[in-house]
This record gives sequence, structure tokens and C-alpha cells, in this order.
Amino acid sequence: MTLRRYLDLFLATFVTILMGVLVVNVLWQVVSRYLVGQPSPFTDELAGFLLIWVGLLGATYITGKKEHLAIDLLHHRLSPEKKVRVNVAINALIALFALAVLVVGGVNLVFITLHLKQLSSALQVPVGYVYLVLPLSGLFIIYYAIYDIVYPQTDDQEQVPEHGQVTEPGRPDR
Amino acid sequence: MEYLEIYVLVISFVLLLILGVPIAYSIGISGTLTLLIHVMPLPAFTTFAQRMATGLDSFALLAIPFFILAGQLMNRGGIALRLIDFAKVLVGRLPGGLAFVNVMANMLFGAISGSAAASASAIGSFMTPKMVEEGYDKPFSAAVNITSATTGLVIPPSNILIVYSLASGGVSIAALFIAGYVPGILTGLLLMGVAAAYAYRKNYPVGEMTGLRAGLIRFFSAVPSLLLLVIVIGGILAGIFTATEASAIAVLYALILALIYGEVRIKDLPEILLKSVRVTSIVLLLVAASIGMSWAMSFANIPQNVSEGLLSISTNKIMILLIINLILLFVGIFMDMTPAVLIFTPIFLPVVADLGVDPVHFGIIMVVNLTVGLCTPPVGSLLFIGCSVANLSIMKVIRPLIPFFIAMIAALMLITYIPALSLWLPRLFGF
Repeated sequence: MTLRRYLDLFLATFVTILMGVLVVNVLWQVVSRYLVGQPSPFTDELAGFLLIWVGLLGATYITGKKEHLAIDLLHHRLSPEKKVRVNVAINALIALFALAVLVVGGVNLVFITLHLKQLSSALQVPVGYVYLVLPLSGLFIIYYAIYDIVYPQTDDQEQVPEHGQVTEPGRPDR
Repeated sequence: MEYLEIYVLVISFVLLLILGVPIAYSIGISGTLTLLIHVMPLPAFTTFAQRMATGLDSFALLAIPFFILAGQLMNRGGIALRLIDFAKVLVGRLPGGLAFVNVMANMLFGAISGSAAASASAIGSFMTPKMVEEGYDKPFSAAVNITSATTGLVIPPSNILIVYSLASGGVSIAALFIAGYVPGILTGLLLMGVAAAYAYRKNYPVGEMTGLRAGLIRFFSAVPSLLLLVIVIGGILAGIFTATEASAIAVLYALILALIYGEVRIKDLPEILLKSVRVTSIVLLLVAASIGMSWAMSFANIPQNVSEGLLSISTNKIMILLIINLILLFVGIFMDMTPAVLIFTPIFLPVVADLGVDPVHFGIIMVVNLTVGLCTPPVGSLLFIGCSVANLSIMKVIRPLIPFFIAMIAALMLITYIPALSLWLPRLFGF
């Protein structure tokens, strides 16, 4: 198995588990509110943190799967050589954003919050650890972007976007 | 240069979109670029990163992955058939009955699954062959299916209304949900009207008569699925739970129902969870990036400048709403609704709020407006799905779509200029 497959598998497994925990966590919050009379601040805070992780790592995973919404007006009108060049440009821009904001900005944010010993109000965990997901997803996104430059997907291999339906057909024009 | 920030933001954003950079990344990149005009790189990157993370740390936002997950659990084919049977009992006997059934099944399925794409695909793949079998035109059948799938986005629960609530800075989700009923049903009725006129002209058959017993069985077999809507919306309105809690209850209810019907097994759950994360992450990255960008936008005074610009054309509420509707219809042709709502709500809402438009009403206007673009080329996702389940080329569907578009625009105009359509029901419930 290649590194790429390992990363896909790792991210898929990880976000699946996080999503499962998120569901149980919020259901527990509803139940506990009825038992105790007020929502637990722990589950409330944990839910927010889990959502940051699920959101960013999930977004990383589908960056690799190329499932993010884009406007592909240009794509069909380009010659194959130009398609390759545009693909390089798109991935370079994605990687640049991930590097500047998620990795550099994220690492700085982690250091600042750890240095200030900022703790979350309910769970008392260092907020810096929560923000670690920013540089982490940034690095993975850069890897996916570079991978897609080196091994570009051709049109017939392109993933069909899924909307969550058993009978889901492919979209002919995307 | 006075408007340098605006030029940088708008031009870089449009160029990135045309190049084909994913919308969420385009938002992030042009937002960051705009900040770099005035802020040093390291603080700009750090703040942008922090805004992205804290933007996701929201209890209201949690309702989106949960409604998506509940929808995934409900999307297993069986429910579509039960809803179609339910609709047949109610409207199947009318002239052009199957077209009515198609619209109504889409309204119900869209509301329950929260996904217009899933609705167009599930209902369309069952209904189109049936309609063709009974002598309906295939392109007409596809056009009915494509346009009526949009109604589920307005009828609650609706994820796009949650996105609007976030983008507007906290308009009540409960109020938005309840406001969606009348506009969603109105749009459905207008679409049925077009279908009826067409069916009458073409002399399409009425549906077969179901016996009382069979009718009752069909009717009641859909009730457990429809009960989901009652629990979620009833619970929110009665103040028993918040929208987020309701969405978690919806997951539990959908899971139990799917397990009882045998449509989901425990070992399918990891796959369903992962699929929900994939659909959710598209929305979440857009939200995170937009929250970063909205900071850059207010930094660049964009909402104020747009507001001044619009108000210099006219200060008439009717005119301003017309202009905004035209802009959004144009935007909708090229952009999916989630990013459009996230980008344009902070820009347009202050303008119309100054003119006395209720933020709940404006949310419904925006969503109804942007659903039109889901059915138009070149990027309308419902158009592609609807054509592909019907096995038709897009060109063939354009002509029969036109009268349905007119009905949708008519619905939009009624909803825009008769605020009571959106506000009567929420007011009744004390919002």
C-alpha cells in the first residue's frame, strides 16, 4: 500500500470515529439535560472541539478526493496540455493557502495559546492542542496537492461526486 | 487607491473561481490576500487560522452534520417508495396525477432527507420510468422532478437555512424553519399548477384508483417516516429542544427506523458516518473560510460600500429587493447555494434590514431565489442529477423546464413582495 492509501485510510477511519463520538456526545447531552435539568458544559464544549476536528480533517480528506465544490466552466474548453497546467496552478494555490494559513498561521496560533497557558473553560484542556488540527490538516492538504500535481487524475478516473444516495448516478458533466 | 481592498478581494476571487479553484479555497485565498494589504503576514495568517477554527466551534452549526447523517440513514430507497405511495393516495387521482405525485414526494423526501440532490435522484429514479410507462413525456417528467426537488430546501428542517442563520449573525433557526413551510408549499403548488396545465393539454391519464384498504395501508406505512418531521419541528416549536438537539434526536430516530426496516445494518454504519462527514465537510470548510473572509470584508468596508452603492440607485424597498433578486439569480447560475448564502448574506442583509425587511423574510427570499440556479446550466447540480437518472441529455430538458422556471420565479416574486407568506406562521408561534 502506498503512503497515499495509508493517509486516506487513516483520515477516513479517524473522521468516522470522531463523527460517531460526536453523535453519542450530543445525544448524551440531550439525555443529561433531562436527567440533571441543565446541559452539561463538558459535552457542549467537547462537541465544539470535535466539530473543528471533523470539519478540518474531513475537508482535508475530500480535498484528496477532489469533492469540494468548484465552478468548472473552464475545464471542458481546455486542451489536454492546458488542463494539466491549470491543474498544477489550482493545486499550487491550494497548497500555498494551506502552507500560509493552516501550517504557518496554525503553528503560530498553537504556540501562542500554549505559551499563554490558555485552558478551555469546561474541560480545562490547553486550547493549543485543539488548534493542532490546523497545521495537521494543512500538512496533509499540501501532500494531497503535491500528489495531484505529480500524479494527475485523468478525466475518466475522476471521482463521481456523491451526495449520499444508493441510486446516486454520476453527473455527466462534472 | 481608495477602494484597493475591494478590487483585490473581488478580482482575485473571480479569477480563482474561473480558474476552477474550489470555492472554499478561493474564499480563503482572496480573504487572506485582502488582509495582507494592511496586516503583516504572520498576524494575518494566524488570525485567519484562528477565525476558521473558532468559526466551526458553534453549537448551532452541529445541526448540519446531524441532519445530513439522519438524511443518509433515511435515504435507503425504501422510504422514497413509501412516500411515493403516500403521495399517490393523496393526489394520484388528479389529472396528470403522477406529476403531482412526483412533486409531492419530492417535497416530503426533500424535507426529511434535507438534500435536494438525494431527493431528485431517489424520487426521479422511481418516478421517471413509471411516468414514461403511463405515456408521459420523458423530458417533461424530468423537468417536474428537477424543479420540485428544490422545495425540500425551503421546507424544514433545512440545512441551508441553518447556514443563513450563521451568516446573518444569529437569526433564530426555529423562526426560519417555521417560516419555510408556506413558501415551500406555495412553490410546490405552483409547480403542480404548471404540471396540471401541461397534463390537461396533453390529455395525460389520471392515476389508477386504489381501494380503501390498500389506500389506508399505503397511507399509514409512510407515517413512521413522516413522524420524523413532526418530532423535529414539533420539538423545536414546543421549546422541548434546540435545533441542534432536535437534529441529534433525528439521527437516533432515523437509525432506529432504518434498523427496524432492515435497510441499514450495524456494519453499514461506519460507511454511512464517513459519507456524512464527506458531505458535511464541503459545507464546514466553506463556513470556516467564509468566517475568515467576512472579517476581511468588514475590514475593507465592503458591506458599507455595497450598501451605499445600492441605496444610491434607489431607496425604494421594492426596487432594492428586485435588484438584489436579479443579482442573486445571476450568482445562482454559477455558484452553489451554500457559498452564495455565506458570501452574500453579510453584504445584502444590512441593506434590506435598514429598509425594514425582516431578516427571517430575507432568508427565505435568498434561499428560494438560489434554488432556481440549481436547475439551470452550466452548473446546476439538480439539472445534472435529474437528467442522469432519466437518462436524458441536458438540451432535451431545457424546453420543458421553461414553464417550471416561470412558476419558480412567480413564487419568488410572491414570496418577496408578500412578507406575510413567510412571516405569518412564525408570528403565530410568537417569533
